[in-house]
Amino acid sequence: MTTLPLPAAGVPEREMSAAAPRRSRREVREITLIVATALTIVTVGLFNHGFMSTQNLRFMLLNSVVLSLVALGQTLVIATRGIDLSVAPVMGLTAVVTGLLAQSSGLPLVGAVGIAIVLGLLLGTLNGLLVARLAIPPIITTLGTYSLYSGLVFVYSNGTQVDSVPRAYATLGNGFVAPFIPVPIAVVVLAVALLLVWFMLNHTRFGRAILAVGNNDAAAYNAGIGVTGVKVRVYALSGLLAAIAGLMFVCYTGSATVTTGTGDHVELQSIAVALIGGTAIAGGRGNVVGTVLGSLFLSVILTALVFIHVPPIWYSAGEGLMILVTVTAGMRQNRGGAN
Amino acid sequence: MADPSNPGRNEVTARRRNAARLPLDGWERSLLVLLVLLVAGLCLSVDGFYPGFAGFLALTENFLPFGLVALGLTTVILTGGIDLSVGATAGLSAIVMAELWSGLHVSIWLAAVVGLLAGGVLGAVNGLIITRLRTEPLIATLATSFIYASIATALAGPSPPAGFPDAFNLIGTGTLIGPIPLQLVLFSVLALLFTLLLQYSTFGRRIVMVGYSSEAARYSGLRIDRIVLSAYVISGVMSAFAGIVLAAYYSAVRPDMGDVLLLSTITIVVLGGVSIFGGEGTIAGVVIAVLLLGFLRQGMLIAGYSDMVTTMLTGAILLGAIAIKNILSGRGTGLAALLTRIRGRRPATTGSAAE
Amino acid sequence: MTSSLSYRLRAALLAGPLMLAGLVSAHAADIDTGKRIKVAMVPKLVGLSVFKANQQGAETAAKSLNIDFLYTGPVTASAQGQVDVFNSLIARRFNVITTTSNNPTQLAPALKRARKQGIKVVSYDSDVAADARDFFIQNTDYAEFGKALVESVAKYIKPDAEIAILSSTPDATIQNEWINALKTYLSAHYPNIKIVTTQYGQSSPSQSLTAGLNILQANPNVTAIIAPDGAAEVGAAAAVEKLGKSGKVVVGGCSDPNSIRQYVKSGTIRETPLWDEVKEGELVMYVARLAANNAIGPNSTFTAGDLGTFTAKNKVIVFSKPLVFNKDNIDQYQF
Repeated sequence: MTTLPLPAAGVPEREMSAAAPRRSRREVREITLIVATALTIVTVGLFNHGFMSTQNLRFMLLNSVVLSLVALGQTLVIATRGIDLSVAPVMGLTAVVTGLLAQSSGLPLVGAVGIAIVLGLLLGTLNGLLVARLAIPPIITTLGTYSLYSGLVFVYSNGTQVDSVPRAYATLGNGFVAPFIPVPIAVVVLAVALLLVWFMLNHTRFGRAILAVGNNDAAAYNAGIGVTGVKVRVYALSGLLAAIAGLMFVCYTGSATVTTGTGDHVELQSIAVALIGGTAIAGGRGNVVGTVLGSLFLSVILTALVFIHVPPIWYSAGEGLMILVTVTAGMRQNRGGAN
Repeated sequence: MADPSNPGRNEVTARRRNAARLPLDGWERSLLVLLVLLVAGLCLSVDGFYPGFAGFLALTENFLPFGLVALGLTTVILTGGIDLSVGATAGLSAIVMAELWSGLHVSIWLAAVVGLLAGGVLGAVNGLIITRLRTEPLIATLATSFIYASIATALAGPSPPAGFPDAFNLIGTGTLIGPIPLQLVLFSVLALLFTLLLQYSTFGRRIVMVGYSSEAARYSGLRIDRIVLSAYVISGVMSAFAGIVLAAYYSAVRPDMGDVLLLSTITIVVLGGVSIFGGEGTIAGVVIAVLLLGFLRQGMLIAGYSDMVTTMLTGAILLGAIAIKNILSGRGTGLAALLTRIRGRRPATTGSAAE
Repeated sequence: MTSSLSYRLRAALLAGPLMLAGLVSAHAADIDTGKRIKVAMVPKLVGLSVFKANQQGAETAAKSLNIDFLYTGPVTASAQGQVDVFNSLIARRFNVITTTSNNPTQLAPALKRARKQGIKVVSYDSDVAADARDFFIQNTDYAEFGKALVESVAKYIKPDAEIAILSSTPDATIQNEWINALKTYLSAHYPNIKIVTTQYGQSSPSQSLTAGLNILQANPNVTAIIAPDGAAEVGAAAAVEKLGKSGKVVVGGCSDPNSIRQYVKSGTIRETPLWDEVKEGELVMYVARLAANNAIGPNSTFTAGDLGTFTAKNKVIVFSKPLVFNKDNIDQYQF
């Protein structure tokens, strides 16, 4: 592990989560989420065995992939004490652009990946520059670019929607790694993304800089961290992950419309999931494993509501309650650990 | 007010002090000039924007509900919080009113009062979750917005009530004293009340102080929880009020009718000069921003631009305005700092702490 | 003018089928297109292909009817957005506003204001309150469409099968009309088919897909899903295929042919009723033109060019019988 050369004066008021003392607490959050998810699966599974079937488990996992990817980026942004509302239109724009090109002119998958990367980095970097260079508060920056980027979806597509994607795309979204290994490729994509982001946040200089900036950016600056650069890169990464999520969305569902992303309020969902996972909105703490577990837990809860025959109008209330309970309980946990 | 030279503050607050040193009315004055130019420009260049004085004033009926929500939201944002449940609260309160009227045959006026109270209760729930459970305002109100939306959908049923008494509908579409829309009268009165409340009362100073520095407020012996709670109650009531005005305007209710309010209202409040971190901003600025964005949107649509272009332009204006504000006040690095230097001002403290 | 038109119509109706074609095209020219009028088409939201199909037809018809045509609408499916657009159209003195509504009641006051200023209002697809419009073009008769929805799956499942419904939102007017109609038809003709669950996909492809997966996992005995909403039918069909249940579970509903083509070809969707959205768009323009000319009454018969003859009954014009897409005919329709 690289250590950050922090002069004594620059030590942030709050300790950094990636440092050893926090580790146990973070693991508590992860274990809690795993136990809660497992308990839900077993309890509902006792009433309806279909809930525990391999197939259902696989789809609950698959259904969480897109949101997990977006939320990974959101976690990084929140860890710098920022927020990124524009992930929804970035995801939608990528889904529509790559999907339409694939549908109409047979864009090869490699090309789509390239477009996603470029689009995501570009739009994300713009956010980062506005936040870091012009010092526009993140929520305002990304609220503004939310409008701009959603407009771009209309400008590009003129309302044409994606109805089907070529086979290679569908395989990326739905296929197994190999016929004899029943692991969906999409899950592998998420796992790789998670591993990379986790490593970056916890075991690199850049990751420690992210947390330092989130803790106290003035102190981080005094400690010799290039605050501006860190922020720009974090928003760029958030854009990138949202764009990859958009590509995975169009591959998984085979469809995309002008309201993809924004219509499902992916921006709010991703914030919720990051906070469920134990990332602090006040910055300085980012738990990417928790984020993915949180997204999975949400998917399991929403599916469970169907299995236990809760009327559909209450699904949204169920989601709200779950966010409230997990986040509040999590904060109790954190405070308990601190005392 | 807290002594700004209170020791022990970090650089972030130092930066805020910088901003506070700006003549606060400068921003409002610029917005006002912009508003006058915009309205004059639209009147002259867009056919149909000024169909006579009455028709021109009637345009405000299309956007003043946003203004009502903005007044309440400003209160919350001044405390350093945020209320994402304004749309759901507006929808649910209006549904409560409508269901009382159509299901239980309560008089529409009494039902409207209950609707307002319902808004207050929903706001109190937000406030209690935030102050008692120590949940971040963002996440608390995000969660309650999901819950309120579910309750509204459940109450509304497959065909929500519509066709309220004409006397009630006048709240949304009626006029008072000649051609002046009743909505405009209500909004003006409330804006005045909020100005008095937030800028000229002890309560208002406390709100600002909590948002400026809750630590300083705590040291001065303020009961922060109670102040924060009341801000959310105010926001709930104002959202409910907007919901009821919308119900009267449409003579109908829908559980999702408040959804459009949220993002636009945050835009209005921020453009109006209220700091998203709390502790700074005025009602006058918010009122001007309501009119500015409202007339802009109506004017663009009448000029034949699509909703999409209008939405994009709103986003660009928000970014541009705040960027300009930051450059002028010396926040930011790079371009901003450069411009500041060109203007011969002392560059802001290094780093980009002014987040 | 009205009487001369109806006289000719009667003549056309009396004339034999052989003569009809000739007379109809003569009639198209008979619509008074002397004055250029401004007509707007306001969909629930811009940017969905089914509404674009209406636009496509409307543009064609507008050219021959001397109409200044504008397609405009909100970017999200909100009543507020539509009302804003209506207000701007009123200010711009359009002659006719045509719209499919996000919400029948919320749009009414704005449309009534428009009518007060002499603007004609024609609703199509999803109606607004009856006193807020001059005419309503109903896609298909609700009862007939309910029947077609049931038949799109009932033929392919057991008489005592369990089925599910996947709709858009709990308070979507037109979907609820169809669901009521299909329930009536179901109980009369297939009394043993049981609807075990009704879920909602919020007109979002991804939420519809998740809802479809959940329906099938939570109710393993379901052998058919009726999804009377574009996004919902696609979501249901995609869910069936993802679970490898194609052939075991049949999906019906209503959606535009482009969205469901792949599922019709793979057999997950056997048939799906809709109507010709492009031609419906044309009819909307004919009715707009005739309404602007004051050339049709609330109960009357009129000819809309090549589209044929239509009857207005109490201001409601039924556009067509359900048009059923299946493997054999779907490629004839590109929208």
